[in-house]
Order: sequence, then C-alpha cells, then structure tokens
Amino acid sequence: MRYKSQSVAYWYFAVAMVLFGLQLVFGLLSAAKYLGPDPLLYILPFDVTKVIHTNLLIVWVLTGFMGATYWMIPDESRTELHSVKLAYIQLILWTLMGVSAIIGYLFRYGTGNKLLEQPLPHKIVIVICMLIFLYNIGMTIKKSGRFTTTEGVLLIGLVSSAVLFFPALLYYENYTVSIFYRWWTIHLWVEGVWMMIMGAFLAYLLIRLSGADREVMEKWLYVIVGLVFIAGILGTAHHYYWVGVPQYWLPIGGFFSALEPAALAGMAIYAYSAMRRSGLAHPNSLALHWTVGSAIFALFGAGLLGLAHTFPAVNKWTHGTLITAMHGHAAFYGAYAMIVLAMIVYALPKLTHGRSEEGSTLGYWAFWLQVSGMFGMTLSFATAGLGQVYLERIMGMGYLDAQLKIQVHFLMLIATGSLFALGVALFIYDFFRYRPRFEASEEAIETEPTVTRKR
Amino acid sequence: MTNRQARIFAVASTLIAALIFLVLTLDSHRQFGELTNAENITPEVTRGKDVWHKYNCINCHTLFGEGAYYAPDLTKITQHRGEAYLKAYMRDPSQFYDEQKHRRLMPTQDLSEQEISDLIKFLDWVANVDNQGWPPRPIMVTGAAVSSAFVADTTRDIEDIPGVADDTTPVTEADDPRAKGEYLYRTISPACTACHSTHPGADMAGPTLAGLATRAQAIITSADYQGEAEDVEGYIRESIVAPSAYLVPGSMYSAGGTSFMPQGYDESLTQEQIDQLVAYLATLK
Repeated sequence: MRYKSQSVAYWYFAVAMVLFGLQLVFGLLSAAKYLGPDPLLYILPFDVTKVIHTNLLIVWVLTGFMGATYWMIPDESRTELHSVKLAYIQLILWTLMGVSAIIGYLFRYGTGNKLLEQPLPHKIVIVICMLIFLYNIGMTIKKSGRFTTTEGVLLIGLVSSAVLFFPALLYYENYTVSIFYRWWTIHLWVEGVWMMIMGAFLAYLLIRLSGADREVMEKWLYVIVGLVFIAGILGTAHHYYWVGVPQYWLPIGGFFSALEPAALAGMAIYAYSAMRRSGLAHPNSLALHWTVGSAIFALFGAGLLGLAHTFPAVNKWTHGTLITAMHGHAAFYGAYAMIVLAMIVYALPKLTHGRSEEGSTLGYWAFWLQVSGMFGMTLSFATAGLGQVYLERIMGMGYLDAQLKIQVHFLMLIATGSLFALGVALFIYDFFRYRPRFEASEEAIETEPTVTRKR
Repeated sequence: MTNRQARIFAVASTLIAALIFLVLTLDSHRQFGELTNAENITPEVTRGKDVWHKYNCINCHTLFGEGAYYAPDLTKITQHRGEAYLKAYMRDPSQFYDEQKHRRLMPTQDLSEQEISDLIKFLDWVANVDNQGWPPRPIMVTGAAVSSAFVADTTRDIEDIPGVADDTTPVTEADDPRAKGEYLYRTISPACTACHSTHPGADMAGPTLAGLATRAQAIITSADYQGEAEDVEGYIRESIVAPSAYLVPGSMYSAGGTSFMPQGYDESLTQEQIDQLVAYLATLK
C-alpha cells in the first residue's frame, strides 16, 4: 500500500464480505422453497427472502465498487485521498441504509417494484452517499492533477450510475411506463455504465498484474466502452418485449442485444492476450485468476447465455421462466461479483499483515469452488428452465404441475448452490484471517510495481 | 488505430446510440396511451397497482413476464378466472391449493375487500394492454398438457401454422358439431381448459368434466336440484350460461350461492357455439 488513505478500502471490502455471506443465506433459503413445502411460509415467505437476496447483491457489489475505487484512485493519481473522514462517513451512512432496508423488507416495508424496492428515504440516502463519494473522488483527482484514462472511464461510469438512478425516484401512474423507466436504471446500470466500471477495474488490474503497456490497454478500453454502449443503450429494448410498448422495440432489441457478446468477447480477449503477451508475471497469480476469470465468466453468463434468449422469436417462449434466472445468476456473478473479488484479492496482501502475495491454498479453493458451484447452479437453472418452457409454455401444462415435474433440477440447484456457498465461506474466512494494516508500507513504495520478468 | 481515434469511436457511438434511444422513447410516449388503454386507468386501477406493490407480489409472481419465477404469471389471469373466483382465492388461497400436493402455497395476505376488488381491477387493466401478443399460448395455472398444443394457439388460424395444415384436418362449418364443440372448449375466452380437465379425478380450479353426462343425469333427478333443466343437454347449457343455478359442493367452487365460474358466456358466445359446446360436453359419459 503506497498511500495511507487506501486503507479505507479495507472496511468497504469487509462490509461487502459480510453482506455477500448474508446474500447467500437468503439465496439458499429461496432455493429450498422451490423444493417445498415451506415451514417458514408465514415467517419468512419467498417474496421476502428473494427481495433480500437481490437487494443484498446490489448493496454489496456497490460497496465493493466504492472500496475498489478508493483503493485504485490514489494508486492512479499518486496521491492520498481528499478526505478519509468523508469516506468513513459515507461508509457508515451507506451501511446503515443497507441494513435498515433489509430489516424493513422483513416487515414488507418496501416499494414492491422489482430491484428498486428501497423505500424513498433509503433512495435519498443512496443519492447522498453517491454524491459524497463522487465529490471525494473528484477532489482527490483535482488535487493531484494526474487524471488517467482508466480513472476517466471509471469516473464517468460512476457519475452515470448516479444520474441513471433518478428515474427510479419518480412516480408513474401507468404501470407500463414505470416498467419502461425502471430499465433505464437497472439495464443501463448493469449493461452500460457498470460495464464501464468493470472495464476500468479490468484495465487497472491488467496493467498492474501483467505489466501490459498502459497506452495500448487504454486504447482498447475506449474501443470496449464504445462497443458496450452501441449494444447496451439500444439493447435496453430486450427488456421492452411484451410489456405494452410499440412493436419496433422487438427487432431493435433482437439486433442490438445480439451485439452485446461482442463487447464481452472483446473484454475476454483483452484480458487473455494482455496476460499472454506481456511476458511479465506479478506474484499475485490468484488475483490474475479472478481477473481473467471475471472476463471469461462474464462472456459466458452475460454474453452467451444472454444471447441464448434475446431474440424475440425465442424470448416469447422463454420470457418470465427460470431461463432468465439462469442468465441472471451467471451474468451478475461473472461481470460484477468476480471483478470486485479480483480487486479485493489484488489489494488484500497490501491491506493486511502477514498475507503472502501469491495467495493461499485456501484462496485457490475459494476460487475453484465458487466458479464450479456457480457453473453448476447455472446449469441447474438452465435445465429447469428448459423443462419449464417445454412443459408449460409449449405443451400447455399448468404452471404448478410443470414445476412439480422439474423438482430434480431444484435438488441440483441446492447441491451446486451449497458448493458455491462453501467457496464463498472460504473466501470470507480467508479475508478476515489477517489483521488489517493502516500505515503506508515503505517496502511497497520501493518495489512497486512488483512485477518480474517471466522468461 | 490511434488512441485518439479509439476515443472518438467510444464517444461517437455512445452519442449516436443515446440519440436514437431518446427519439424512440419520445415516440413510445406518443403511443403509450393507446397501447395501454390509458383512459381505463381509473382510480380503482391505480389503487390496485398500489396493492400490487404494497404486498410485494412481484417477488413471487410475474406480470408481463417480469418479476420472480416462484408463482404463476398473472398477465392474463382475469381472462382465465372469473371475478368471484379471484376474490375468494385472495381471501384464502389455502382453500384452493394443497401445499402437500403442489409443494408450494401462497400465504394468505389479509387484504381488505376494497384492496381485493381494486387489485382485480388492476389485473384486468393489465390483461387488456396491447403487449405484442404475448403470451403466444395461454399460460395455465394448473392442469396437464392438452393433447395437441397447437389448438390452444388462439392468435392464429390453424391453417396458418406451418406443418399443421398438411397433416391435420381443420375444423370447418361442415364438421360434426361435437368436433366444433371440442375446438371451442379449448379456444374460447376464458378457455374451459383453464379450469376444467376431462381426466377422471383431475379437479383443477373447476371440477373435472370426466363423466359429466352421467353426473348430470344424477343431479337433475336428485332432490337438491333447483334448476330448470330437464335433460342432460339442458343441464350442461344451464351450467354454461347460468353457472350458479346448481352449485357443485365445495368451498373452492362457490361462495354465498355464487359459482366461481366466469359469467358472461351467454353474451360472448353465439347460440350456435353454445349448442356445439353442449354437444361436445354431453359426450363425456
């Protein structure tokens, strides 16, 4: 750690870890309810466990983004953060918002609007936290006078995330119109501006880990951002299928979302070739696993599995089935969970005492268990979803009867989900094993970047 | 490609995509009113929407296919179930489904009568939104697969479906009324198949129609029967046009002397169609 203020990232990551663990508890509970019968029907029904599961995901991933940004910005701009105090105030406010929202959901205190269930006071706190965050980052960069392309992409991504949250604050009389603008927030986040954030972290990690040439990496970062937005902005149309909007959104959605894998393939090739070509090896190869893994899993989950049901002629049969859950789990994990975990694994040896740079055996177990567990969960949702589409949508079997026929896939889901949870538990244990470090390390300054020639 | 060119590519493609998206958004606003029948968004519908949100319905069910995948899609539910049924269902879902059998059950939500009635108004508004013809075939809540799926496709004529016209015989005017009745049984709205099966013992939202003719004979000669039918055909006709004339025992089928079967078939069907349906149903001995 070169700069003392980077240590704020540790506490952001720590909060993210706790929320990640909690997310899995509610995920496994929800999965068990698919098997049923449900002994908690009147204590913790499915709608509650599900809303907590998805909201915890959003909160922990954003916490991770913030922590990773506070870690990265001093490194890139070569200066201490503008205000460590503000960063802690923001974290406390943010965590209180997240935790009180979750407690509220237990009592059905929420808007009941998918993924935007946060009550209005919570939404306002989210906006305040975002503003504090952007101010702090902006002032840091301004103070240093050094503003890299990677930072620029990250910052535009973060500012746009805040701007795109505004439609979610408004009230719509017409349910169809409210769906239309809900996707301005959700879709343009996950398939637009968050991709910029992911791309920026990816570029940062690849430059540090593989020693790839900054000039080249940043040039390709621009190309990827361009591809993301061509496909991502008009690709919003694939959420406008069958919800009461004009017909032309169907072909637009089909065409532009078919381009989305191009951006993701670009990212995966970008990561892989950076690693192959540079001929440099950073000792933290576990972080490299997570970095390249994220790019590849995002291509699989967001790119290919998204493409699998994005054409209107296919989607009219698969819309609103477990096929969507298949895509959602793999995409979100690959693109966002894994990139946050990559940033954590990269930063952790410098943020804690006594941790080896190479990563522990435990760390590798956590990686492979999570990746194989999530792959298995994706397959379980896929097979369950295919069964559902054929029985319910094509053969005309009733929903409840079709769900009974695909029970075996829910067993698979719970088995592979447990494997995944084990991987996450190991990751969390590994995270908290060493005590945090709060001083800049002299040694790190001398040797950074700690990259050595491979051959 | 230079760094500068890459930057221009990123900025230009973003701006062009955003511009097209904004223009289409404006045009969509021009059409929302007509596509969603905005003039039908009454205060009841708006209150019903609030009920939908307040009780977090979307985190189990889907509406327009959006939501969670733990409970049935409700986009067209008011076209599959009558208002009386939906009201009784919302009061106590456990009267209608058995958690041991289906392995999941909707918890009772303790809605007020006003909330229930508003919610149904909202769902009925949803069912009539022009949503690009989705779903292509009705999504049922319960029931086994129909024998041949294409007949449930009400959006097209059978002859238009590739591969079907060649190897099946379309139903035409010249056909036996019983064959036409069987076709109507699956294709009218609400479809009889949404609630009834013809398999013995397979009671769904409505009782099975297997053995209907035999049972009808027994019912009209029993002392409980207060209706006006004098023969099997008359009883079946009466059940279609005036479902409450005779109530099949069971709290999942009726409440307060009113059957949960949808009303209004006497208006939505022609006399001839009712004759054909009766002719078909009378064959279920």
